Amino acid sequence: MDKTIEELHELLTNNFVTSKELVEEALKKSYEVNKKYNAFVTILDEAKETPVSENLLSGIPFGIKDNYSTKDILSTGSSNTLKNYVPFFNATAVEKLLNVGAIPVNKTVLDEFGMGGTGTTGHTGVVKNPWDSTRMTAGSSAGSACAVAAGVYPYALGSDTGDSIRKPAAYCGIVGYKPTYGMVSRFGLFPFASSLDTCGVLTRSVKDAAIVIDNMKGLDKLDMTSWDSSHIHLYQSIDGKVENKKLCYIKELCSIENYENPTEELKMHLENFKEKIKLCEKLGMKVEEISIDQKLLDALPSVYVAISCAEATSNMSNLTGIIFGPRGEGKNVTEMMMDHRTKGFSPLIKRRFVIGSYILQKENQERYLKNAQRVRRLLVDTWKNLFKTYDAIILPVGSGPAKHLDASKDLLTKDTKVLEEHLQIGNFGGFPSITIPDGFINDLPVALNITGNCYDDENVLNIAYALESAMPYKNQIAKEISHE
Amino acid sequence: MSRFTSELVDELAEKLLIGLSPEENKMVLDEFAIIDENLQKVEDIENIKNVEPMTHCLDDFTFSLREDVVTPSIPIKDALKNCEKIEGREVEVPKVVGGEN
Repeated sequence: MDKTIEELHELLTNNFVTSKELVEEALKKSYEVNKKYNAFVTILDEAKETPVSENLLSGIPFGIKDNYSTKDILSTGSSNTLKNYVPFFNATAVEKLLNVGAIPVNKTVLDEFGMGGTGTTGHTGVVKNPWDSTRMTAGSSAGSACAVAAGVYPYALGSDTGDSIRKPAAYCGIVGYKPTYGMVSRFGLFPFASSLDTCGVLTRSVKDAAIVIDNMKGLDKLDMTSWDSSHIHLYQSIDGKVENKKLCYIKELCSIENYENPTEELKMHLENFKEKIKLCEKLGMKVEEISIDQKLLDALPSVYVAISCAEATSNMSNLTGIIFGPRGEGKNVTEMMMDHRTKGFSPLIKRRFVIGSYILQKENQERYLKNAQRVRRLLVDTWKNLFKTYDAIILPVGSGPAKHLDASKDLLTKDTKVLEEHLQIGNFGGFPSITIPDGFINDLPVALNITGNCYDDENVLNIAYALESAMPYKNQIAKEISHE
Repeated sequence: MSRFTSELVDELAEKLLIGLSPEENKMVLDEFAIIDENLQKVEDIENIKNVEPMTHCLDDFTFSLREDVVTPSIPIKDALKNCEKIEGREVEVPKVVGGEN
């Protein structure tokens, strides 16, 4: 299971390995990884081999984030409010993968309902980073990132509302791809913030990401925001030809001079990024530094919280424990719902609901929600203007390698906040965006991100593929560092 | 300037049918203070009020209304599968009309 999808497919078709053996290996590895890093809500012991066809995914195991509905399989959203919920239907993306013979072997832990970036708020506990178990995986696709990095299988499904695929991929040294909004149907994905939610995948190579999304995407009558992408062939389009492609990076985020008292890790991360810019140039691409209004960038984290909280508050009002979920106690329906929601939601979710509710009050909408949506447009327009000149934007992911589990996210220094959160712009605009590993700091992986214009996924993946091919981090499996 | 007070937080939580501990109440206030401060700066952006709020990420998004065709709905058995208390084909809840409860 430490191989790429192409390699596994070749082994299967040449009878060097059977689908049954792959399933057995993935299940065995699932138990090992769960014991060490707590990556799974459910391990599917009953998973069975499938016939190997021409489809590259046939006969190969994979993981599903636990906010995808899976028929007759527990689907919790990593929340106590759904700890016993078993859907009677599959999410469209899952159904499409099952139809080509892909084999789910586990459901992975997330931050509760995807509303977190640490991998620490799932109802089954903290997910640990397989490179260093004292560090976080980031989130919300924490278990998926952990499992793929640990070599349980070549890919796992994720969802991305702010950076929930791309940040954990970075912290775990793997690839995280969020396609253009609506390319993959959201039907059956537990909604968090519907105008930002995107289905995607975590893999160990760019080509694997292309293969998986080719099989997940498509117009779905059950998701009115999905669109016809039958003209897009991600895997076939990857040729690594990037000569004369134009990229840009943002000075305000990438210059060390912009940070007061930068940590050694941040310095190394940004130096490493600059080296990768030179690598892009060596590959024949043109890379330019551009400048963005700092005021717009500074507003970003709060704009994201305002929009996502408002949408989430509305989306999750159906979690009452009455028609599904564990029943609360009380002498009337209101008390029962109150008990269910009070006990079921974690403190993080509760505070986001309250903030969302305040923002949605009629008298507050103009100042908070509408202004946040206005900044969203200004940022997206700025990015779209850049895409008139540049094929993609290349930026470092986060301020360095994975954070320690005991370091609260809130303790991050104020001036690295935008560097930590800039991937959210990809969700504001629905842009295709991919994170690939680009180096190591103190034996821990760091990453860069490539984001392009809507519907330009082929171009984004091709640039990522060219860079990946010029670096030694493709298909890497986590090697846990020693603290002795 | 915020009118976002501890009492208001509890009031909103009550409407959302969630109970907050004093610590959780304080966490909400602290987080909101940062949002309020940052969105205050947004007011200073030139001509911000002239910008059309963006509610959806695909600006070329089009959709057509489906034909109103009756399709099979889910079996009641499936719909009730995740409900902890049912009676026959119905969800069981305490009486909500015609009494104290």
